[in-house]
Amino acid sequence: MERELTLKKIEGLQTIETAARSLNMSKQTTLNLLSKLKKEGYVTTTGGGRQKRIYKISLKKQRSRDPGMFDILNKYSPKMKLAPWFDHQVHGKYGPEEALIDAIKTKSFRVILVSLRLFSHIRDWKKVYRLAKENDCWQQVGALYEVARKYFRVKSMIERYIPKKKFKKKIFLLERYKTKEKDFYSIEKKWNVTIPFRKGDLLKTEL
Amino acid sequence: MITYHDQIELFTLMSKQLKRDVVCYAFGGNAMMFYGYKDETKDVDLLFEDEKGRQDFIEALKEAGYKETSLFKIYTEDKVKEKNAPLMFKRGEGRFDLFVKKIFRTVLSPKMKEDLEAVHDFKDKFNLKVNVLKKEHLVFLKAVTSRQNDFDDIKTIVKKEKHFDWQYFVDEVVWQYQNGNDWAVLDAEKMMKELKEYVFIEEKYSKQLYAALK
Repeated sequence: MERELTLKKIEGLQTIETAARSLNMSKQTTLNLLSKLKKEGYVTTTGGGRQKRIYKISLKKQRSRDPGMFDILNKYSPKMKLAPWFDHQVHGKYGPEEALIDAIKTKSFRVILVSLRLFSHIRDWKKVYRLAKENDCWQQVGALYEVARKYFRVKSMIERYIPKKKFKKKIFLLERYKTKEKDFYSIEKKWNVTIPFRKGDLLKTEL
Repeated sequence: MITYHDQIELFTLMSKQLKRDVVCYAFGGNAMMFYGYKDETKDVDLLFEDEKGRQDFIEALKEAGYKETSLFKIYTEDKVKEKNAPLMFKRGEGRFDLFVKKIFRTVLSPKMKEDLEAVHDFKDKFNLKVNVLKKEHLVFLKAVTSRQNDFDDIKTIVKKEKHFDWQYFVDEVVWQYQNGNDWAVLDAEKMMKELKEYVFIEEKYSKQLYAALK
């Protein structure tokens, strides 16, 4: 109970001085307390060294996390970043190949747009192909790969995965979003997938 | 007792035993651990969308040494008799309560499916996806399961959360009531009445619940 009251007094971002003032304690006593709370998981710190140390204090325990889709997308997208609307964590092997498939499944404009950057970091095309087939989204992967190729340097897709026949099923990356950019007509025709982006959208993801 | 790290290891182990991808929803003390509200729990409450998913998970549990156990002692008699009561599996101090489609009379609402707090994927050959429900849904489900300690958990959530959306909570209660959970409003109203001793809840929310009953 006492711990809860202490945490409530200093909840949020604090420096050692502001925390000491809020608790009406000396700097050293506050430091000892914050160090104890940090061990218990209520406090995380940033900065230190040349920078001023900032303490993030929460009533809830701040757990260490494993990276998920949003972390991978933000890691590989140099300019455009996403604000996650839920906490996605993957406990196990997770890289750009898996994140690409998850991004397509979200059906979110921004997430799919940012995922184009992943094509520069895909090493295992065999894995992408297998995952895409399992999730029934190979057409979308192929179309997005061709769009990404027009704007960024990407790792080439293995030739045997390039389709020789036409796809019968028409796929909408996003419902009701048709291809309006002339440059993408050929990609749409080849993969039978509508591309919801305009050139301006892609420029936003560039360096 | 199951700690947060035990839980992560348990789910990782389950994912290794699965024979296909399984999706489930965490809503009990285990969900509270994901949030950081508490450090350990007696029971892991999971809801599955279909019986097949639950059966796959049960097979994995059995391989890990868990055995089915009786619901008496844990749930009240009327809850045990309910059609949608859970299957319970125990090993030592740890317990799994596995629901399918419904938690007693509570349906997995569209809002519960859409507005998730977190998604934890445990990837091995197959994927165990654990969706963590929003705090407002956790409070509602704790109000309807009415086990020992459930009220204390509700108190913990509401006290530790700066922004608890009571309007969102009431909307969910009313939706559940309108979709066949006759006890939703009564259980929620009872819980809110008790909770008012500890936290401030605006009167308008209770009024909205009474209005739904008319």
